[in-house]
Amino acid sequence: MSGIEEGTSLDGEPGNAGRREGASRTTAPAYTTSSGIPLSAHYGPGDVPDDHWLKVTAPPGQAPFTRGAYPEMYRSKPWRIFQLSGFGNPEDERERIRFLLEHGETGFLMEHDRMTADHLYDVDHPEVVARRDDVGLTGAVILSVDDYETVLDGIDIASTYAHAGGAVVQHAPFANACYWTVARRRGIDLRRLAGTGQSDFNLTYLGCINKVQVPPRDGLRFNLDLIEHCTRYLPKWVPVSIAAYNAADTGLNAFEELGALMANAAEYLDGIRQRSKLEVADVAHGVGGVNLRTSMDFFEDIAKLRAARSMWERLLRERYGVTDERARRLRIHVVTAGSAMTYSQPLNNIARGTLMGLAAVLGGAQSLGVSGYDEAITIPSEHAHQMSVRIQQILAHEANLTAVADPLGGSWLVESLTAQLEERAWEFFELIQREGGYVATLDSGWLHQRASAGASLAMDQVENGDRILVGVNAYQDDVSPFEVEGFEGTTDAWDRAMTRLAALRRERDSRAAASALRTLEGACRSEVNIMGPMLDAVEARVTVGEIGDVFRTVFGNWDVPIVF
Amino acid sequence: MSDEPARILMAKTSLDGHWRGVTIVERALREAHFEVIALGMATAEEIVRAAVDEEVDLVGLNLGGRSAVVERIVAELRAQGSDVPVMVGGVITPQTKKRLESSGIAVFPPGSSLEDIVATARRLCEHSAEMKQEAQ
Ligand code: B12
Repeated sequence: MSGIEEGTSLDGEPGNAGRREGASRTTAPAYTTSSGIPLSAHYGPGDVPDDHWLKVTAPPGQAPFTRGAYPEMYRSKPWRIFQLSGFGNPEDERERIRFLLEHGETGFLMEHDRMTADHLYDVDHPEVVARRDDVGLTGAVILSVDDYETVLDGIDIASTYAHAGGAVVQHAPFANACYWTVARRRGIDLRRLAGTGQSDFNLTYLGCINKVQVPPRDGLRFNLDLIEHCTRYLPKWVPVSIAAYNAADTGLNAFEELGALMANAAEYLDGIRQRSKLEVADVAHGVGGVNLRTSMDFFEDIAKLRAARSMWERLLRERYGVTDERARRLRIHVVTAGSAMTYSQPLNNIARGTLMGLAAVLGGAQSLGVSGYDEAITIPSEHAHQMSVRIQQILAHEANLTAVADPLGGSWLVESLTAQLEERAWEFFELIQREGGYVATLDSGWLHQRASAGASLAMDQVENGDRILVGVNAYQDDVSPFEVEGFEGTTDAWDRAMTRLAALRRERDSRAAASALRTLEGACRSEVNIMGPMLDAVEARVTVGEIGDVFRTVFGNWDVPIVF
Repeated sequence: MSDEPARILMAKTSLDGHWRGVTIVERALREAHFEVIALGMATAEEIVRAAVDEEVDLVGLNLGGRSAVVERIVAELRAQGSDVPVMVGGVITPQTKKRLESSGIAVFPPGSSLEDIVATARRLCEHSAEMKQEAQ
């Protein structure tokens, strides 16, 4: 591929390709981190505040965990290699997951179709029919628990950590219930089942906003139901996993990402404190598995992971009085920034993925997903997926990175950045509280505006040449263009799902399905935890669209605060 | 040409909800004094209807799904007697880019500069205005 042909005109005349070559800066270089923290030319002991030094005298594995979640880190707990995967028919998703596990992935992540799963529509819904060629493009079409059985066939879910799908809040109760049902049918003790369905507010109400979905207040209730249910019956399952990554790749900077993460957690934990018989300490472990982004600001990203652990520890101790130290330990999954991956000269992205993955390792991540080199083109091809796994394996085995925990601990620069990020992040947290709390900032669009400002700034810096992106606004020549065609997936996902849907409706006990849906509706209208009735409905083979109909009837639709 | 700002209809063809790129393009177009109508996630039919009803000078599509919808939209616009030009951006493979460009559609994949997008929009809208005048 020859890079982006800029300004190609309609009549095929070459435009001013290469005009931005060597784009000159508009201003003198400002030395700051990407979130705007000023950088000195060198650092010394005086740059680290005393109270911060005190904190980092605690070794890794001890509160406040700035230096790591566990004492021996990767010696005793290698990070989990964990890549987003899935597309097309349930069989396609299964094959890709098996492929990744065979190549060394140590957990797996199910991606479901945006049209049907995220929107809770059946494949014959008019909004889906109108876009039938998009169905299955970025995740498998899963209509009912039957399709979960197909995806998981031959995959050892008893001992492999999974992301079961259900990243979108309104989809999570159904997705989790389907996965647990398959596990139960296999005779797996749910008390030992490990995984998550994510159910992330940053994705659902900030990053990628569905056309139709339940309002955030009702989404919050779903998540509290999940937290309560899992705390009682699935103690190893992470009921909700806050994905600060999604907020960051939408446009929040490093300290905003941290502040929003804490504010999001506070909203969940306040909710538990208000409505539940459970103690915050009981649910803390479940809510303490989150994800963060590393991007192309190496030291700031490392500092961010360290600051996140320390902030979490403080939040649980000060705001919620959690006395058990282990319950105040944050576990972090890192996703490398998709937005750092470029369309032009895609092989350069392998270097970017390696750097961002390295930051995650030096920051002490518990699991890692490295974005594919074809990230800006399509969902990953098999080869790009394999490369993401290989990058992680090289980091894990070849560069002697895993012997020592928190290798950058004590670096004046990294400690200084850790302290400064933490301070700025708490300020942002307070700002959110003043706006009425995390959910209020989603309802009002305040958080979207912050993200939008960050995204615009990033764009402008590249446009002005203030930030160099190799192959994009500089060094566009490519002597040996490497063609990345992009992965097109399958084209029969909609047709085959229509056939499955018809068969399902014909074969199942329709009275049992209807009655289970009525019970679910009743639970939605009351204060009963919806997960019990949801599990019954899944067992009665209800479809994703039928669940959606119940939710739409009871909760209506969110009034989205931004126009796009 | 009249002093009225040229009107651009912007829409997302898939139900994917990514808004970062499309709002940045809309902002750049507004700053360049275009009037932008943001339709959001819409079906091909809805996009064609809005383009015809609003008599826009240019249709901008953000692709988040497969690309055949672009040709469907163009064909339907022409069938309804509209000559309005179309430009697209978003998730686009290199092959798709070549295919669409060969049928005269301006294509802006990730990494495109806003300056180029605005310049192309300007040129396409001027072309549109000339066509409208000729038709009168
Ligand atoms: C940031 C991002 C997100 C953010 C959302 C940000 C937001 N609010 O928009 C988050 C993290 C939440 C997210 C989530 C997901 N994402 Co996403 N995301 C991206 C990413 C990394 C960058 C997009 C971006 O904003 N870039 C910056 C902007 C400025 O660039 P842009 O959008 O390309 O726009 C430029 C041009 O395309 C053009 N342009 C755009 N629109 C238009 C319109 C017109 C008319 C014109 C002229 C020009 C134009 O101009 C812009 C300036 O150059 C891309 C991959 C990539 N590197 O491109 C994936 C990507 C778009 N996501 C993808 C997917 C699949 C998802 C997820 C399903 C999870 C996942 N597998 O990653 C979820 C979606 C869930 C859902 N419900 O829909 C896929 C889509 C694949 C496809 N359609 O075939 C991509 C390509 C990644 C991948 N390879 O899998 N995502």
